Amino acid sequence: MLGKLLKYEIPAMGRKMLPLYAAWAVTALFLGLSTQAAESKSEFIVVLTGLLYTVVTTAIVVMTVILIVQRYSNSLLGDEAYFNHVLPVSAAEHIGNKLISATVWVVVTLLVAIVTALLIGLGAMIIAGIHGYDINLIDPVDLNVWLPKHFGLFAVELIILLIASVVKTVMQIYAAITIGHQASNHTTLASIGAYILVLMFEAMVGRLFMPTLLSLGLNEAEGILDLTKAFFPALIGSFAFAAIYFFVCKYLMEKRLNLA
Amino acid sequence: MSRIEINNLTKKFGDLTALDDVTLSLEQGQIVGLLGPNGSGKTTLIKILNGLLQPTSGSVSINGNAPGVETKKVVAYLPDRNALPDYMTASQLMDIYGDFFADFDRLKAEAMVDDLGIDRQQTMKKMSKGTKEKLQLCLVMARQADVYLLDEPIGGVDPATRDYILRTIISNYNENAVVVISTHLIADVESVLDDVVFIHNGKIVLHKAADEIREEKGESIDKLFREVFKC
Repeated sequence: MLGKLLKYEIPAMGRKMLPLYAAWAVTALFLGLSTQAAESKSEFIVVLTGLLYTVVTTAIVVMTVILIVQRYSNSLLGDEAYFNHVLPVSAAEHIGNKLISATVWVVVTLLVAIVTALLIGLGAMIIAGIHGYDINLIDPVDLNVWLPKHFGLFAVELIILLIASVVKTVMQIYAAITIGHQASNHTTLASIGAYILVLMFEAMVGRLFMPTLLSLGLNEAEGILDLTKAFFPALIGSFAFAAIYFFVCKYLMEKRLNLA
Repeated sequence: MSRIEINNLTKKFGDLTALDDVTLSLEQGQIVGLLGPNGSGKTTLIKILNGLLQPTSGSVSINGNAPGVETKKVVAYLPDRNALPDYMTASQLMDIYGDFFADFDRLKAEAMVDDLGIDRQQTMKKMSKGTKEKLQLCLVMARQADVYLLDEPIGGVDPATRDYILRTIISNYNENAVVVISTHLIADVESVLDDVVFIHNGKIVLHKAADEIREEKGESIDKLFREVFKC
């Protein structure tokens, strides 16, 4: 049933996100074109397109968070819950569906951010090519000097930790919303209060385990945190918190669901 | 065979007791009218049967199971509000029902949707309130469920549609199923009811066969309702 839920959930978020991505890509390309065009004209257009790009980027970040909150609260605790909770699907599958979909769209947003950065460069190169400007790209040979040893492994670890962090953060939000909906009135306010409590809980637990985590990841010879050593403790930490929040949501939905 | 069993069910919302020690057993092969004035506990009872509310005490079961994944496979529920995603078309909603409910009859749903003049490609957002209600009912009644829980199925539709809905309920109803219709529009549903449950202030005040009421009291259920719930 999880697959069937995802079949409808992923497009439901995509419906809102895809037009925003298109707008993001177009503004990035304009920004790239304007940076080189401005060399021969006014800087005003660069400021304007730069501002537009910043606004669209901010809008997409905000929209992603709003959609994650909205898709969860409307579908599982709002009016649509009267439809979703009568489907022959377990609470765990409902929560898993929302979590997977939200994680997919956050990761896609990050990938689109990289694409827009490339589009800025592409736009600049197009104009430079037209006008014959010299744009100083990093020589690929120099990358070996700039990038640390085992950069590939480092990047993979970083990406995995990033995804684990997204999963934990999404579950943190879901737990706060579900706890907040236990209140009979002012559920939004209660959810914000619950979110603060969840953060405090995480900080307290983190303080207990952080020294151990730091010692595991410490490179004693250089006295700095070694990401490769800290990778597994950090990963376990993120997934442990995500699991706690998941079971809180699951318990409340199975045993304490009271739709208004 | 008893499809629905409710034992000593109580539901409280703070100081308010919405259901007070309700015990009820509903057999298959009948259309039951769950009748009561506004705020009497009808919707609360139906929500508990669907697992959308948790009882304060007591228990409910459908086919011997507490509300959960197994009961949801066999219960067709029409809520008292529009619960369907508003960005979806009637056709997409039929896809969802087909994906999740093994007992959903797509052809029957399409026939009902066409009968009621609903545009299959129109999104819910663009439909009128009445059309949304009709579509929800088509989706629910196109299932071959064991239990139909219909919360105010005729509340927001015109009289012609009301007739169609009641005809649909009767024609789709089978001897293995129980249909529970919650409403306060007694006169409209009276003719289709086999069994009647009067609920008031969270308590069951009457549970009898419709014919028995008519014979014993010598009056219509609507008239009896007006007497019992006289303000």
